[in-house]
Amino acid sequence: MTTTLPATDTSPPGARTAPRLSEKSRVLLVTGAVLLVVAVVAGLRAGSGAVLTQALVTGVLTGGIYSLVAMGLTLIYGVLHIINFANGSLVALALYLTLICVQDLGMHPYVALVVVMPAMFALGALLQATLLNPVMKAPIQIQLLITIGLALAIENGLLLAFGPNPRSVALPGNTGVQVLGATVELSRIWAFAGALVIVALLALLLQRTRVGTEIRAVAANPEGARLVGIDIRWIYVLTFGLGAMAAGAAGVLVSPFTTIEPTTGAVFNLTAFVVVVLGGMGNVPGALVGGLVVGLTEQLAGLILPTQSPLLAVFVVFLVVLFVRPRGVFGRSA
Amino acid sequence: MNHRMHAWSGAGIAGLALTLAACSGSAVSAAGGDGEATGESVDEVLIGALHPLTGSNAADGQQMANAAQLAVDAVNEAGGIESLGGADLVLEAADTQGTPETGQSEATRLIEDGAVALVGTFQSGTSANVASVAERNQVPFVMDVSALDEILEQGYEYSFRLQPNASLMGEQGAAALAALAEDSGTPVDQVAFLYEQGNYGAAVYEGFQAAADEAGITVDPVISYDATAVSDMTTQISQVAASGADVLAVAGYYRDSLLAAQAVDTVQPDLQAVFGVANGAYDQPAFVTDAPGGGEGYFDANYHWDVTNPDAVALAELYEETYGEPIRTSAVLTYDAVMVVARAIEEAGSTDPAAIRDAIAETDYEPLVVSEGPVQFDETGQNTNAGIVVMQVQDAAITQVFPNELAEAEYRFPAGPAAP
Repeated sequence: MTTTLPATDTSPPGARTAPRLSEKSRVLLVTGAVLLVVAVVAGLRAGSGAVLTQALVTGVLTGGIYSLVAMGLTLIYGVLHIINFANGSLVALALYLTLICVQDLGMHPYVALVVVMPAMFALGALLQATLLNPVMKAPIQIQLLITIGLALAIENGLLLAFGPNPRSVALPGNTGVQVLGATVELSRIWAFAGALVIVALLALLLQRTRVGTEIRAVAANPEGARLVGIDIRWIYVLTFGLGAMAAGAAGVLVSPFTTIEPTTGAVFNLTAFVVVVLGGMGNVPGALVGGLVVGLTEQLAGLILPTQSPLLAVFVVFLVVLFVRPRGVFGRSA
Repeated sequence: MNHRMHAWSGAGIAGLALTLAACSGSAVSAAGGDGEATGESVDEVLIGALHPLTGSNAADGQQMANAAQLAVDAVNEAGGIESLGGADLVLEAADTQGTPETGQSEATRLIEDGAVALVGTFQSGTSANVASVAERNQVPFVMDVSALDEILEQGYEYSFRLQPNASLMGEQGAAALAALAEDSGTPVDQVAFLYEQGNYGAAVYEGFQAAADEAGITVDPVISYDATAVSDMTTQISQVAASGADVLAVAGYYRDSLLAAQAVDTVQPDLQAVFGVANGAYDQPAFVTDAPGGGEGYFDANYHWDVTNPDAVALAELYEETYGEPIRTSAVLTYDAVMVVARAIEEAGSTDPAAIRDAIAETDYEPLVVSEGPVQFDETGQNTNAGIVVMQVQDAAITQVFPNELAEAEYRFPAGPAAP
């Protein structure tokens, strides 16, 4: 929100005279303007500047966390065209791995990233290589059903291994801090920062490295990529691994403020799908914007319509966006 | 583009398949036959227990199934059903998976297997379906935990409920808060109410609002949230802080109530207390380990097993010894439900479900949960003596504190998050 504000201020003169803004920045401007109006209404409804600032800051931070969770989902969709219903369960699995690292091995929660991310990468790669690669040419529902089955297997495996009782991971030195007049838990700031870093790293990987170019080539045209000598099965394995690794990073980063239960993944799943579609299926930076839009919508809607589900507003926004821009805010995939 | 279209139509197909599966589940149960048992020379009497043994409520569901088994074992060790020649009780525990459809089909299956009574199910939606199956098959159904008022507003004759319903818990919660404030000499004028927007939270809120009006307490602001999706409560708690309310009342499930506690710790609003009303977290042992500062000082007005009752304490000890974790109140309610059924079979001296139903309606069982007297069902099947007690986290333990005659220790009020 804060980053789009200056842009909104300059928009009225710029919008007409400039030789035509790129589509992307126009979308950002409209999004920013809508959010500004909504924020003003919310502020008037709340009748308290402090509550509004809190809502905005919380919205941005939770939005970042939503994008973090959605990152793996959108990457896998963009390249493999598989809607990974197991994404939430992978996050839950990463939460339990973090729990083991912290409780049994005595690690600092964030040090667990070093263990959990490679482990999740390996698992994701293994799943793709053994379960999904053989059915990549099969009708789409086969792959869907495999990921749904995977989600059920992970969830119930966790139930079997860890039991149903809720667990938690404590972050040493986790307190509330003041950010722009709002109070925020330190762990949420770290998670938000982590989300930004991971988006940046993924974007770098996709845009600036050879393997990233190969991934994008496979996403754009698998047959063409195969013809120029790219091993597309290996790219599939790599991408699913990266997607699972993103889910793993999300799990570690949200662990200090999440109740860890075998079914925790379900909490993230629904929002993650909305975020992915809003941002454009398969669009990694789009997932970041989608997450922020959902986070802010939830918070501001909570102020404007205090007795309604914030999800109502999220889905209204979702429908409007799909109506106006059926391919998501940013359209095409990475 | 094409890919996406395919993908989402694929998702549609998957969804359709799931819906169809669900439909066929309920169709089976609709066609389910009469499961009437004959009462001649029985060695065994089958009782069905329906709980969510998997899914997001498995923690409670598994405990409840365990407690049902302990109750059955206790009856059998004491000689079984004497009026049936010492017949053994047999428990069949079914998994509702937390969904009404599965609960319904499992209930039908248990009745077909010859269950003479059912207990369950922890979730109101599931209980509503099971109650209709029980009614159709004329097999008694005793609800341990299921708060939704409407389940018993259908004119059912075969369904009974041990716990207070949601609106009653809201009313009793507000009354208890008012009484506690008066007793402590610290006035409470304004209460902020935070609740999950499902039928349970909404019913608790309505009950609370009504009783608070009567006690002259203003309820403002009133904030609801979606328990399945919420991931941060800082904004809600900031609203509470800005409103100047004296007490924050919370009616929610475990995860969301814990989020509220974390946000209270972050925002540090100037409150006299956080007061759970039928709250799913603030009287759970896990809350003490999960909450910032151990949740010290948090109140919850809820049904609870009576720690001043030696039989209940013995059960809690047996449970912990057998299953290695502290017993939850939901499990004690299941124990009570099975005991009500066992007594009724004994009274009826028959395995005819209709006769057992009549005996349940006349029960005067003394429950192990806090109660205003023996279990007594009114004509709708609601236990009119179901009650609540106020608990507080004190020195890392859930402690009964109010009303004073049920108190293990003296309450601490005010006990604001800022207060030590």
